[in-house]
Amino acid sequence: MIARLSDRQVGRAYATVRDRLGRTPYWSRVVVALAAIGAAVISWNDDYVTAVAVSVATYAMLGLGLNIVVGYAGLLDLGYAAFFAIGAYTSALLMTQAHWNFFTTLPFAVLFTGTAGAILGYPTLRLRSDYLAIVTLGFGEMTRITFNNWEYAGGPNGVLGIPWPNFFGYELNTQGDFFIVGLFLLAIAMIFAEHLDHSRLGRGWVAIREDEFAAESVGVPSLRLKLFAYVMGGMWGGLAGAFFATRIGAIDPTSFTFQLSVLILIVIVLGGTGSLPGVLVGALVVVALPELLRELSDVRLLVFAVLLVGMMLLRPQGLWPRIRRKPKPFYGLQEEEPEDVAARILREHQVQMEERDRRHAAAGHKVPAKGEVLLEVDGVVQQFGGLRAVDNVSFSVRRGEIFSIIGPNGGGKTTLFNCITGVQRPKRGRVLFDGRPIVGLRPHVIVARGIGRTFQGIRLFKNMAVFENVMVGLYARHRTMTWQAMLHTPGERKDELRTLQESRRWLSFVGLESMAGQLASQLSYADQRRVEIARALAAHPHLVLFDEPAAGMNPTEKLELVGIIRKIRDLGITVVLIEHDMSLVMRVSGRIAVLDHGILIALGKPAEIQNDPAVIEAYLGREDDDTDALTARGA
Amino acid sequence: MLGMGDFLQYTVIGLTVGSFYALVALGYTIVYGIIRLINFAQGDLSMVGAFLGWTLLVSFGFEHLPVYLALVIAFVVPMIGTAIVNLGILQFAYKPLLRRSLLAILITALGMSLLLQNAAELIWGAAIEAYPPNLLPLSGFFVGPVHVTYVQIALVVASLLLMGGLVAFIQGTTIGTAMRALAVDHDAARLMGINVDAVIRIAFVLGAMLAAASGVMLGIYYVQIHFTMGFLLGLRAFTAAVLGGIGNIPGAMAGGMLIGLLEAYTTGYLSGTWEDVVVFGVLITVLIVKPTGLFGERVAERM
Repeated sequence: MIARLSDRQVGRAYATVRDRLGRTPYWSRVVVALAAIGAAVISWNDDYVTAVAVSVATYAMLGLGLNIVVGYAGLLDLGYAAFFAIGAYTSALLMTQAHWNFFTTLPFAVLFTGTAGAILGYPTLRLRSDYLAIVTLGFGEMTRITFNNWEYAGGPNGVLGIPWPNFFGYELNTQGDFFIVGLFLLAIAMIFAEHLDHSRLGRGWVAIREDEFAAESVGVPSLRLKLFAYVMGGMWGGLAGAFFATRIGAIDPTSFTFQLSVLILIVIVLGGTGSLPGVLVGALVVVALPELLRELSDVRLLVFAVLLVGMMLLRPQGLWPRIRRKPKPFYGLQEEEPEDVAARILREHQVQMEERDRRHAAAGHKVPAKGEVLLEVDGVVQQFGGLRAVDNVSFSVRRGEIFSIIGPNGGGKTTLFNCITGVQRPKRGRVLFDGRPIVGLRPHVIVARGIGRTFQGIRLFKNMAVFENVMVGLYARHRTMTWQAMLHTPGERKDELRTLQESRRWLSFVGLESMAGQLASQLSYADQRRVEIARALAAHPHLVLFDEPAAGMNPTEKLELVGIIRKIRDLGITVVLIEHDMSLVMRVSGRIAVLDHGILIALGKPAEIQNDPAVIEAYLGREDDDTDALTARGA
Repeated sequence: MLGMGDFLQYTVIGLTVGSFYALVALGYTIVYGIIRLINFAQGDLSMVGAFLGWTLLVSFGFEHLPVYLALVIAFVVPMIGTAIVNLGILQFAYKPLLRRSLLAILITALGMSLLLQNAAELIWGAAIEAYPPNLLPLSGFFVGPVHVTYVQIALVVASLLLMGGLVAFIQGTTIGTAMRALAVDHDAARLMGINVDAVIRIAFVLGAMLAAASGVMLGIYYVQIHFTMGFLLGLRAFTAAVLGGIGNIPGAMAGGMLIGLLEAYTTGYLSGTWEDVVVFGVLITVLIVKPTGLFGERVAERM
């Protein structure tokens, strides 16, 4: 629709305004929008309206916190009210018992909730998502009941007589005052959340939400990031809780029920999971709708439930969904000529390689020169029940070569890849990379050691844009701190710009620069495979494992793929290939290994493999008059 | 010796309540096993069943019929009625979302729970209603120091019969086999000619029938029923299903019994106010030690 509009004068003008708006810093837009809302509510000058607005702000704050957990990291949290409760009680008790100032209690409210989140999250975040739901639900109920039974915190009566906050001698005691404080906190929360969303961390979270296994396999430390999201979301809840406590003046355990956790979840799903303006819309609907329905009194909640279910049916994506497609992702970046791109990639890669080799040597390891052994698979056995998928396989891959693994389906090729990349732990055997054992390391650590991979069944982050997919691949290479990301510091900005620039170069390396802004799921099969290759390369690996990269490609695309694989080798990256297309394998490979029923039956140069009787038998059976079929297939 | 007597007494209470939880937990587990949805309305279906039973017994006066006839009616009709309600929920609320966002369907389930509660309040009122107190003989007998009532025996036996019937259905019939196939792989099951939609409907019918039966039993056992009773029941049953390993039928039964026992011991030895803390504490500990639940098998998530 936008496209049609922009053909006309008005549409073009609108597009310009939108573009210019999009380029102003986010914080300025938030400040302007919230200030406008604030001015509108205050000039209404109605205590009831202001009170409702404060509630909306509180729910929006809670929603923003939960959005990090559910919207970004994809962790289903049904006990978010617990954090709200811990923050509220911490602040309330410090104010009433220790007579602290409201503002000095805030760091402690945040600290306590963060600690609680870490204690619960660390052991439980490795659980499956449905189990996590009940664990968090249980945590929420346990927290509420503990406060209910805790004499010091007033038991069922809660904490009463919480004083008004005192801001440098000025007592905040009207709804209007709280509204301003609420808007201020909300503005900070929104700006931080937006910055996180567009940082390396935010991309890591979304990657985990989309496909945790793939994220881990391209270098995202999934457990650490999940814990981080959980703790950070909890801290927001704690802050909102402290604000709630002083505003209401009295808290008791009934304010922190499971129903509240559900309401906050509704806020973010209704608005559009992961979308920041969506959270505001959701909070507005969840708070204001029951107020509007007040006249219906008896059937109020019933109508609310019907509307909620109806909403989900009509707009499951939410009222203001977050769309990750971006028409011009590289707007404002310096243009580069194609030859220039290739040269830069080569230079950058060589710098990276030298750096890595130097560090490797400094740590006292031997650096393999070109042609020496880079990857050594030694007696690897992998067994599923009675089936030996990989049976005592040994071979080594030399630095700088293109090495192919072929063999009939079910030969154990992908299982072998999984053993090398840390997805599975082999029952027996060693895998040495760069002379160091890597069995037992988590996949993201192995990526950091310098092994990249693609998947047999494409595993892109489907709802992320193509360039973002590649940027996730760069995760392991950057060291931006979270606080830098939250504040969007110049250092972080430079880092992000470099990441974007590099992702663009890699996309142009595989010939997909023009598709960068589309969603990964919109691309053709062959193009998706190429994005996977770019994503694996982005980490500047020493060695890449490609699992059937040509599957589903037509002859032209295969030809291009051969070119890309050779270009990768020319960068100095060692390539290991699983592939069924014999002509492709024969054309690019330096050496070929053949796996059949988990056993390595042949290893050698393409010409040797083509004439190896054991290989011919594995592929074609023992029919003597068909012996040249393999060569025929290769043609 | 007195300590032992207390312990056994709590055990009897725990097993009775646990058998109600087990029935509802089975509903969670069957539906989850087939469409990976935590049907949050499950506990509220129990409540609907309890109120339907109450309507028949008290409002329609069926309590004055011969006790066996009254009981059959009070169980069978609510089971059918609740099954129809659950089918309606499936058809209108879940079906359109089945192949879309998991989060949206979860919110819809929470919405349905809210909807059922408020609809029940509208229909039956916000007051606490009472089942006829002397439908079954209140008396009991002593086994050593332990007092066992006939109601307890009748209810536990009825639950066991229902569970046995369910297991026989799932293990012994073609439809049951289809359900098990669907739990493993939807697409493969469809390719084998299984009518996936029909099997999903059957799962919802079975889940609702078990929930309704447990609701009527709760009414008979505790006498008092209320439109919010489904929440706690559902929560405990959901916990039970996860404790046993969600998707696993024997696991749900064992989980229900375990939760019932935990609850009875906590109330007996500690205090009723700590029930949920203990129950969830045990759940979290079990899941940390054994992430698939007590009886759950290793299922790879989206591998």
